[in-house]
This record gives sequence, structure tokens and C-alpha cells, in this order.
Amino acid sequence: MEVEPFLFNIVVLSLFVNIAMSLYGVFVRPSLIKKIISLTIFSDTINTLVIVVGFRHAIPNPIPPVVIEIPPPPQYLRQFVLQAVDPLPQALVLTAIVIGLAVLLFLMFTTLQIYRIYGTTDVRKISRLRG
Amino acid sequence: MMLHYILMALSALLSISVVYLAIVERDLIKAAIFSAVQSALYAFLYYLLMAPDIFLTYIPVGVGLYTALILILIKKTERYEGE
Amino acid sequence: MGNTLQVVIIISLTLMVIGLAMVLAMGGFGFTVPPSSVRSLATIFLNTTFNLDTKYRYVSAMSPEAVTAIVWDYRGLDTLFETSVMFIAIVGALAISRGASEKLLKGFSKTRGGMSLIVKTITRIIIVMIASVGLSITLHGHLTPGGGFQGGATIAVAPMLLIITFSIYLFSKMITVSKAVTLRSIGLIGIALSAFIVLIIAILHGDLAYIFQNQPKLYSHYGLPSYAEVMVLGGTLLLFNTFETLAVAFGFTALFILFILPEEVVKDIIKGEE
Repeated sequence: MEVEPFLFNIVVLSLFVNIAMSLYGVFVRPSLIKKIISLTIFSDTINTLVIVVGFRHAIPNPIPPVVIEIPPPPQYLRQFVLQAVDPLPQALVLTAIVIGLAVLLFLMFTTLQIYRIYGTTDVRKISRLRG
Repeated sequence: MMLHYILMALSALLSISVVYLAIVERDLIKAAIFSAVQSALYAFLYYLLMAPDIFLTYIPVGVGLYTALILILIKKTERYEGE
Repeated sequence: MGNTLQVVIIISLTLMVIGLAMVLAMGGFGFTVPPSSVRSLATIFLNTTFNLDTKYRYVSAMSPEAVTAIVWDYRGLDTLFETSVMFIAIVGALAISRGASEKLLKGFSKTRGGMSLIVKTITRIIIVMIASVGLSITLHGHLTPGGGFQGGATIAVAPMLLIITFSIYLFSKMITVSKAVTLRSIGLIGIALSAFIVLIIAILHGDLAYIFQNQPKLYSHYGLPSYAEVMVLGGTLLLFNTFETLAVAFGFTALFILFILPEEVVKDIIKGEE
């Protein structure tokens, strides 16, 4: 058994377990605030999975996608392409985190408004109330 | 390079227990704190996955702003999850 | 639920993950992560992000930082629309609590609330540090890891800290919601202008260029200066990063003020409607 795939599999599988637990939190727990906390965990885990897709195994080690020699000689660029990780998932996740915070703030506003009108954040009580 | 993988696996395994505690905890303030610990572990994971940009975004957003906003929301509404 | 049961559940989950990972690593399902090569699209991005070779002159983004190059050059339109999604979220929050922040200033003219003098003094020092770190992250966004979103999120911590230590009453005298939204709109207008700036330059020369163009392309030889001997100037990326910081930081400031408004102020508005 190779050790490096084993350790990397642990990372991927624990992210799957985190997705399962946060989905339980979103669907089953009664409190709206607990649902919001679970939703943040869910979106963070999905973002991490996207980053994991862009990771690579390189000899001797992977490097961040930043050119550090200016001007870059062709020899350096060839080595850079062989070593650097995929920058595209990082660029997509970068915007997703900040936009996710704004959308989540909107969800918090709605939760606060529900509490102001109905006086509770428990979904079972809210579903029983009318008007 | 092996150390990288070991640290990645350790932070991912720790995040399982913290996420579990954050989901089942009745006291919402404790749940928010566990969620912040999970954010810190994920930030460490991003750093090890060679994504320094995400690391820089995630530290203020995940550890600072999320936690502060959820704590303010709990202060304004109710602290314990009813049964 | 007892503490012992929770510990048992956590340990069993951890052991399950370790066992499954062992099975997979032994070749159970045949995938061996991580791969040793990236997708060909990523190879193109990595190869052309900063390349002075004449072969790649018309495709290079001339930014040593591949992520910033993708966010604002290769996929600039995506980012523009994501920024507008955030703006729509802010508009929704403004619609929920309309008129509340003006009422706050009218009702409470005297200063009140806030933490002790020690906390306030230390906060004043820390705010300067946070702002300078955020600006440094933003302005070096095309050179090192960083950029508009990172710098904006870092600077957005400062108003949060100010509101908590100085109380919302003192803070809303410094920055009102309308002022924050105005600054955020200035950021958005700046982003829109930066998208057209190369086209404007080309039209002034009596020619045409692309929207969201950064560097000279094959059929339009206009572009912002990006590389002068040893200095990397970044072209439009620097402008985009600066305006995006303004947009993110002040957009979040407006949302924080609306979110932390005291309940007694907001309740009157809701009761007045019914």
C-alpha cells in the first residue's frame, strides 16, 4: 500500500462525511440558526472539494500558481507548468466564498425578520402558525 | 512532501469531529464556536492544498465575519435549540 | 445525549474514514488520487499567464499571479456578474429594513453605549493595521496571492470591529448606510469603466478594441502598460482589484449596519405597517 494516496483518500472521504453530516443538519434540525450554520459548513465543504480537484502530485513538490522569477526564462516556465497546481478552481471558489457570504447575510436578514414577526426560529412552530 | 500529506489528513480528520459537534450541539453559541474551529481547519487545508488566495479570503470571512454575524443573530433571537 | 455516546460516535466516524481510505488506497475502486498532471486547460493558463515569448504575445495576461489573471482577464465577465449577484443581495437586505438607519440617527442624538476606553484605544490602533494589510493585499494582487476579493474581505473586518467596540450609534455618525451604498456604487461604476477603458482609448485613436481587453490582441493593438523592464504594472488588473475592494468592503459595511440595528428601532417600523 502506498502511503500518499492513503493519506489523500482520508482527506477526500472526510469531506464526504462532512457533507453528509451538514445535510443532516440542514434537513433535520428544527432551529433556523442551526440550519444556517449547517449550510455554511456545507458550502465550505463543497468549495474544499473543488479545490481538491485542482490539486496535483508533482516531483519534488507542487507549488502555488504564481510566477516568482521576473522576467521568467523559458526553462523556468517549463518547470513551472510541470509543478504548479490548477488555478481555475481556485479562481472560481474565490468569488464563490465572498458572494456566498453576501447571500448568507440575506438569509440571516430573513431569519431575523421571521423572528420579529412570529417570535420563534423553530420551523415546527412556524409551520403551525397562520398569518 | 510526506509531512504535507500527514498534516492534510490530520486536519481533515479533526474537522469530522468538530463538524459533528457543531451539528448536534443544542447550545447555538457553542455550535457557532465549533463552526469557527472547522473554518480554521479548512483554512489550514487550503494552505496545504497550495491555494494561498483562498486562504487569504477564507481567514477573514470564515473565521471572523461568519462567526461574528451568527453570534449577533443568536443574541437577537434565541440561544437554545428547542426540542 | 451523553458525552460518552458522542465520543464513541466521533471515534467510529474517524475509524470508518481511515478504513475506507485504506481500502481505496489498496486499489479497491481503482482511483489513485492525486493525479500527477493537470488538465490541458490549466496548462494553457499556467503557460500564458506571464510569458514574454513572441509566440504567446497575444494570449498572455502579463500577470505573474494566475488566479488574478483568470478572475479579471480570462474570465472577467463571470466575475462581473458575480459582483452583481452580491449587489442584488444587498438590495434585498435594504428592502427588508427600509428607512431604519435614518430613524436611528433621529431618535438618539446623544452618544451612548460602547466598550471601555482601553478597548476603544486599542481598536483605533488595530483598525489602521487591518486597513493597511487589506490595502497591501489589494495593491499587490497582480504580483503575489491577493486581489480585490481578499483585500475587500479583510477590510470588511474593520467596520465590524468598530461597530462592536464603539456601538452602532457612534458608528452610524461616521458612515451611514446611504454613504456606504454610494461608495459601493462608485466601486461598481469603476469596474464597469475599467471594462471599457481599452475600448475608450482605441476609439480616441480612431480604432476599435474588445470589451474586457487587457493586453494587445491580434486585431487590436491597444492595451494598458503592463511590463516595464523589471516592474510589473498589471494593466487593467490593478484597476479592477482596487475598485472591487471598494465594492466588497463598503457593500459589507452597509449590510453590517443594517443587520446590527437595535431591535427597538426596527420593531416600530414593522408595527407601523400592520
